Amino acid sequence: MRKIVALLMILVVMGSFLFAAGKTEAPAADTPVTIKVANYAILESGYEPFWKGVKTGFEAKYPNITIEWVTAPYGEIVNQVVNMAGGGNIVDVLFGEIDWVPGLVDAGLAAPVKDILPAAFLNDFYPDVLKSFEVGGTPYGVPLYVSPYVLYYNMDLFKQAGLDPQKPPKTYDEMLAYAAKLSLLKDANGNKVYAFGQTTASVPVSGASLNAMVFNFGGQVLDAQGKLAVDNQGFKDAFAMLQLLDSKGYNPQNAKLKDLRNLFALGQLAMYYDQSWGFNGIKSINPNAKDFTASAEPLKGGAGTGESLLQAHCFILMDNGKTQTAAVSKFVEYVISEEVLSSYLRDLTPAYPAKKSMAAMESVANNGILKGASPAAGRVRVQTFIPKISALNLELASLAQAVTVGKQDVASSIEKFKTTATVKISQ
Amino acid sequence: MKTKQLSRHRSDTYFSLFLDLPAILLTVSFIIVPIVDSVIKSFQTFGLKNIISKKPGIWNNFANYLYLLKTDEFGNATMHTFSFVLWIVVVQFVLAMLLALILNSNIKGARFMRSIMMTPWVVPTVISALIWMWLFQPQYGLLKYLVSVVTGGRVSEFAILNNPATALAGVGIAALWKQIPLMTLLLLAGLQNVPHDISEAAMIDGAGKVRRFFSIILPYLSPVIKVSLSMAIIENFKQFPLFWTMTGGGPNNATTTLAVLSYREAFVGMNLGAGAAITTLWMGMMIVVIFLYNKAFRIQDMQ
Repeated sequence: MRKIVALLMILVVMGSFLFAAGKTEAPAADTPVTIKVANYAILESGYEPFWKGVKTGFEAKYPNITIEWVTAPYGEIVNQVVNMAGGGNIVDVLFGEIDWVPGLVDAGLAAPVKDILPAAFLNDFYPDVLKSFEVGGTPYGVPLYVSPYVLYYNMDLFKQAGLDPQKPPKTYDEMLAYAAKLSLLKDANGNKVYAFGQTTASVPVSGASLNAMVFNFGGQVLDAQGKLAVDNQGFKDAFAMLQLLDSKGYNPQNAKLKDLRNLFALGQLAMYYDQSWGFNGIKSINPNAKDFTASAEPLKGGAGTGESLLQAHCFILMDNGKTQTAAVSKFVEYVISEEVLSSYLRDLTPAYPAKKSMAAMESVANNGILKGASPAAGRVRVQTFIPKISALNLELASLAQAVTVGKQDVASSIEKFKTTATVKISQ
Repeated sequence: MKTKQLSRHRSDTYFSLFLDLPAILLTVSFIIVPIVDSVIKSFQTFGLKNIISKKPGIWNNFANYLYLLKTDEFGNATMHTFSFVLWIVVVQFVLAMLLALILNSNIKGARFMRSIMMTPWVVPTVISALIWMWLFQPQYGLLKYLVSVVTGGRVSEFAILNNPATALAGVGIAALWKQIPLMTLLLLAGLQNVPHDISEAAMIDGAGKVRRFFSIILPYLSPVIKVSLSMAIIENFKQFPLFWTMTGGGPNNATTTLAVLSYREAFVGMNLGAGAAITTLWMGMMIVVIFLYNKAFRIQDMQ
């Protein structure tokens, strides 16, 4: 009898756990809520204090909402979020890159932001910027800030090479003339100075940067329907330029963006393309970098007008029921505000605000680092989103490596790229 | 009496099965089921949306396998994997045997060397990769400096991981540094069990060092060699962290092995079905290699 009673009690307790695990809907306004925010930046020392401050400030303002960080390194955070979701534990917010959006939409994780955020808040974003987050005409993410790929250059090295640091190159031809002089320099330790840096490493972000370079030349990678469309002069010119840069020894081979930031910070790289927030990486290596760093617009090449690709750090939202989305909405509105982002954009991450009401922010208007590149903010092109964008970006990086370290012919490498990339994005 | 013995035998069998049960359950749950699941998924259209929505994959008429044939990536990755395994295992065995023979001799400091020799083995693989990346760093790495000094400044831009012709060797050096200590230790343990009296008898009969090594030491070491080589083959066949950390499969796909390719397909391309197809073929190849290897050793044992 005792055994039967014990068994029944165990069943009752287990049953109560099971029912407790179900979702609850529409509780009272002051019901405590915990939102799970996946954020790789918490693990990066340069950004950790900011995000800790966000948590403290937000929880003080909304005492019934608690932020629970879900962390993993940059390269693993998407897998972490997907694995958790596979186990039924879906995070509420993911802080990440714009390029992660299509994959998460395809996976059925990202929710339309219009379903979660108020219209008044969304209407404040620049329409073109929000359009960059659209899949099938619906935006699936909101940017904290945006940037095209900007050209950072070292004013001290320009002076040493007899160049005017106030007149950065505007075209690829001008850049090559500058590079001829800059490449003759050595740093204080006698090390070679690279004239121009364009990332070509085997990581998706290098592919995105190469895509921006194709835009510089007036070319395209995908058409409006998301089909591969590389039979254009701009695409060929961009990779021919990469080959030329490599043959002259101007571009550090196979470098990741972080490698370029490192070389730039140490005075071994005169100019390079980066997202504007890459300056935080430079500064963390050399705190004096602000004294010699300036930015310029992306270069014009061939028939191109120096257009670039919009990059953004954004929030990708997931729908875990009304209680959660209401709290998420408050969190997103809290973070993407002048109050929170002003010091961040001034002290940590130079970038352009995505909201109209933040355009006149002192930290952006008077940002010396971004001043030179500011006109480029209006010359960004929207890349068509496809679910396999990361795979395509990796193929672009492989193409760049084929024509540089692989010493292969540009035309035949592009043909091989077309075959592989078509298969990859169609699967 | 006989019935009692039979009954006892049966109960012993049940008891041993009962003792084996945890191991069987763990093996089935964490090895057999995932392998079978992966093989099934290799025949399906299966992406992240299936994981999230918990919908099963859809049979796709071998589309994942046909997809692998549409480009030369799978063939190249297979070639890179086999060439990496072959040269690493051969070089590793030769160097580990040399080290084991040295440590087995009565040289001074052998004990100390044995202790510090294990350091690379205990260093996590990703950390090893990072250490070697710094040594190979193209602008200020130690290797670049040494090559420049040795060549009298004629080769001043040596970057082993940036050249498609040398990148595989670069990763191989890191793999050797990490793996040689364990193989040395295993071979050393085997050497210490070779009976001295037989070796001494051969020496009295006039056998030289080389003859004794090939006719006495190697045959006695055969079981240890078999285990250590098979461990090395498996370890390098499935090598992933060194490649992913040091080169990401580049430059120009020169270090894209089957491990890298399957990861790229599954977790960058988000095509889990194609990733599973690669791992299924990869597993099949590994089984064939180990089967042939075991067969070769069995023939040798019989001889």
